[in-house]
Amino acid sequence: MKKLFRTAASGGALLALLAAPVYSQTSFRKYVALGDSLTAGVEGNCLVERHQRRSYPKLVADQLGIADFQQPLLSEVPLSTQGTGVCLGAIVAGGTITVGPVSNQGVPLNATLPRPYDNLGIPGANAADLVDLRVANPAGNTANRSAAVVLRNFPGGPFEGKSALDQANLLAPDLVTVWIGNNDVLGAALSAAAVDGVTLTPVAVFDAKYTQLMTGLRMTGRTVVALNIPDVSALAFTKTIPRVVVNPTTRQPVVVGGQTVPLLGPRPTATCATPPCPLPEGTLVTLGASSLLALGIGIPTSLGGTGAALPDGSFSPPSTLNQGVLLYPDEVASIQQRGNELNARIAAIAAANGATVLDIHALFDEMVAHGYHIGGGITLTTSFLTGGIFSADGFHASNIGYAIVATEIIEHLNDVKGTDLELPDVTQALFTPDVPFSTAAVPDPSAGPFQYSMGTWKDLVTATGFAASFEVLYPTPGKRPGKSLGR
Amino acid sequence: MTRRGRVRSTGILVSLGFFFLAAAPASPAGFSVFAQGARASGMGLAFTAVANDPSAIFYNPAGLGWQKHFSSQAGGSLLTKIDGEFEGANPFPGTGFGVEEQHKTTFFLPTFYAVVPLTSTVNFGLGIFAPYGLGFRWEDAEQFSGRFIAQNAVIQSSDINPVVSFQLSPSFALAVGADYRLSKVMLERNQPAINPFTQSIVDVAHVKLDSELVDNSGWGWNAGLLWKPTTMFSVGAAYRSGIEIDYEGEARFTQRPTGNPAFDAAVAATLPAGRENVAVTIEFPATWNFGLALSLPGELLLSLEADWTDWSVFDSLFIDFENGALPDLFRETLWKDSWAYRGGLEKRFGNFAVRAGYYFDESPQPLADVGPILADADRNAYTLGFGYETERWGVDVSDIFIDFDERDTRGEENTDRFFGTYKESANLLAISLRLSF
Repeated sequence: MKKLFRTAASGGALLALLAAPVYSQTSFRKYVALGDSLTAGVEGNCLVERHQRRSYPKLVADQLGIADFQQPLLSEVPLSTQGTGVCLGAIVAGGTITVGPVSNQGVPLNATLPRPYDNLGIPGANAADLVDLRVANPAGNTANRSAAVVLRNFPGGPFEGKSALDQANLLAPDLVTVWIGNNDVLGAALSAAAVDGVTLTPVAVFDAKYTQLMTGLRMTGRTVVALNIPDVSALAFTKTIPRVVVNPTTRQPVVVGGQTVPLLGPRPTATCATPPCPLPEGTLVTLGASSLLALGIGIPTSLGGTGAALPDGSFSPPSTLNQGVLLYPDEVASIQQRGNELNARIAAIAAANGATVLDIHALFDEMVAHGYHIGGGITLTTSFLTGGIFSADGFHASNIGYAIVATEIIEHLNDVKGTDLELPDVTQALFTPDVPFSTAAVPDPSAGPFQYSMGTWKDLVTATGFAASFEVLYPTPGKRPGKSLGR
Repeated sequence: MTRRGRVRSTGILVSLGFFFLAAAPASPAGFSVFAQGARASGMGLAFTAVANDPSAIFYNPAGLGWQKHFSSQAGGSLLTKIDGEFEGANPFPGTGFGVEEQHKTTFFLPTFYAVVPLTSTVNFGLGIFAPYGLGFRWEDAEQFSGRFIAQNAVIQSSDINPVVSFQLSPSFALAVGADYRLSKVMLERNQPAINPFTQSIVDVAHVKLDSELVDNSGWGWNAGLLWKPTTMFSVGAAYRSGIEIDYEGEARFTQRPTGNPAFDAAVAATLPAGRENVAVTIEFPATWNFGLALSLPGELLLSLEADWTDWSVFDSLFIDFENGALPDLFRETLWKDSWAYRGGLEKRFGNFAVRAGYYFDESPQPLADVGPILADADRNAYTLGFGYETERWGVDVSDIFIDFDERDTRGEENTDRFFGTYKESANLLAISLRLSF
C-alpha cells in the first residue's frame, strides 16, 4: 500500500516535470522581421529568391521550427531576359577578377499571399518608413517602390493604408526583430555625401519614429529584439579601395621617393591650394571609385592617370543629391557620430519598451579587427569578394554573412530569453556554391484572392521599373559597373 | 678525436631512439603513455610500489635495488583504436555531416630495459621507451569536416633513460636518472578560402607541418624511492621531470586546383612556393607517482596508486613561421593538472601469475580545447594479465581495454568552434620478455 502510494506520488512528480515546459517559453510560434534591404535579403545589388531563401529572417524562422514563414520572393532570370534589377557577382574580365552583372532580378513569385509577409524587410526603408509608409507610391523613391512589393500597400493594393508596423501587428507575432536605421546613416556612404537632414536623419526625427515603432510593437508576451547600425568604416564598400595609388599588377601601393602616392580629390588641403589635391589621411574611397580609377581618374598624370579629381558627393538644394565616391575625414566623422547617436537612441528606446538590443555595431567592429571565426578552422573577413561576409556589392551581406546574423540572433535569444534553441547549421551557407540559376517558368496565377489580377500586378512592376530601386546602391557613373579588384 | 667519438656515440643513441619512436592514439590521458611494461599493464598500471621487473626504470627506478641479476627485458604493445567517432552538431560542422570516423591504426610501442648490477647495492639501468605519443588521424581526410583544423596530428617521442639505484638498507632504495627525449611532431590540414565566384568555401591547399628528424630533443631527469618496511608492505614514489623541446621543421604548401583558372592563379600568387621554416615548442609535463602495495595471504599482491601529471604546463601551442608574411598559429590549450587512480591484483600459482586491474584516468584537456587535433576524455580502463617466470627468464602478457567517456562540445565554448560528440575506445595488448644472467 505504502509502495503503491510512493509510486503514485513519483508518477505525479514525473507528470509535473513533463508538463513544466508548457508553462515556460522554449520557442516561438510566430516570427516577423522588420527592416530594410539587409532584412529583405538583398545581396549583390538585387533581391532574388536565391538569396531570400537564405535571408537571416528565414534562417531564424527555420531554427524556431516555423514552417509557414512567407517572404515576398522574386524570381531570378538570365541576363538575356528582361529583368527588374541587376544582380552583381564576381566575373572574369580582361584576365582579372572583377564584379559585374551575372543575372537579372525577375518578378514576384508570391504576390497573392492572402496575408502580410513574415519578412517585412523593405529595401531602401529608413525608420520613418516603417511607421509612415502607409500607401506606397510605385513610382516613388526606393522605399516606396520596394514597399509596393513587400507591403503591397499601393493604391488599390490588398494592404493599402497598412504600414510595415501595422502588417507586423496583423500577424500577431510573439517574436519580432527590428533592424532599421541603416538607411538613416549609411546612405551617406553610398552617395558619399554626409548632409544632415538629407542623407543623415536628424536624431530628433529618428528618435520620434523609432519610439513610435517600438511602442507600436510593444505587447505583453511578445519578444522584440532590436539590431543596431554598423560603423560606416566596417563596410567592404568603404574599406576596400585604398587612399593611395595601387599598382594594378602587384596590387601593392605605388611608392615614389619612399612615399605612397595619394589619389586626387576635389578639396583643397593644407598643403595644396588648388584642386585636384591629394586625399588627406583618413579619407575613405568607396567601391564606386573603381570604374573611375580604371579610367585613370583620381590618379596623378605622373603615374599615367588623367590628373582629374575623384568626385565627392554633395547636395544642391532643394533636392539634388550629387553622388560621389569620396568620404573625407570630416564626413566619416559626422557619419560615425550620427551612427553612434542613433545607436544610443536605439538602446534607450528599446530598453524603455522592453526590447533587447543585439549589438551589430560591435559585431562588425570585431569582424573588422579579428575576422569572424565561424568554425572548423575557417575565419571569414570583411574583405571584398574574398572575405565571405559581404556580397558582391560590398554593402549587403552574403549568404554566409546573413547566416552569421541569424546565428547571432539565436544566440541572443538563448541569452536573454533562456531558450535552448539550436543554432543554424552554418555549413549550408559556407559550402553551398551561391551562383545564379534561371527559373525556367515563373508561376503566374491569373488572379489571386484579391481585387487585382496577376496581369495588373506584373504591369505595375514593369511600368515602375522596380529595377531602378536597387541601382541607387551603386552610385557609379557607369550604369553597370565592372569593378576591378584591388584597384 | 674525442669529439668525433662523442658524436658517433650520440648518433648511435639517436638512431636507437628512433627505432623506438612511437605514436600512440592518446591511450592514457592527454598524450602520455603509461603502459611501458606487460606486468604493470596487467595490474592496472599500479606498479610504483611493486617495480619488481626491469620496467621499474620507467615506473620507479628504486625498484632496481632489489634486482640482483644482470637482466634485459624487451617488449612491446599493440595499441588499437576500437572506436573513434565524431558526430557533428550545429552551427559547425552541422548535423548534416553525420558520423565521422578516425583512422583505426594499430600502433606498436616498443620498450627495452637493461639492468646491470654494479656493486651489491648499486645498480645501473637503461630504459628506452615512448612515454608520450599522439596519433589523431581522420578517415576520408579530404571530406572530413574538420580538415581545416587537422586531418592528421602526430606526436612521437622516445626516451633514453639511464638510471642508477642505491639500496641504502635492505628495506629502502632510491634511484636517480637522466632522461633524454627525442621527439617529432607532424600536423596535416587543408587550407580553406572563399571562392569569389561561388562565395563559398573551397579547399585551396594542403599544408603539412613536419619537424625534422634530428635536433628535436630535450633533457630531463627522474628519481624514485621504494621502502619495504615489512615483507608485507611497500611504499613507492617516483618523479619524472618536465622536458621542453623546441622543434624545428618545415611547412609544405601544396595547391589544390579548384577548377577556376582565374581563382587558382590568384591563390597561387599568395601561396608560399617552397618550404617554409617553422618552429614549435612543446613542454612535456612532470609526473609524480605514489603507490603502495600489500602482500596478502594466499600469494596475493594488491597494489594501489595515484599519479599526478603537471599538464598545466601545456597551456598553449604556438607554431611560429620564420617567414613574417605567413601568419603564426597560436592556440590557447589551457590544460589542467590531472590525477589518475589505479589499482591492481596479482595472484601467484608457483611460477605462474594472473593479474587484473582497473584505473581511472582524468583528462587534462578542457572542453574548450577538444577538437580534431585531439579529443581527450576521462577514461576507465580494465586490465588482465598473465605471467610466467623463472630465475633465468620470464614472460608477461596483458591486455587493457580503455573506455573513453563521451566528450560533448555542443553548446559549449570551443576554440575550434567545432561542435559535436566524440566517442572512443581502445585496446592495448602488451608483451614483455625478460632474460636474466
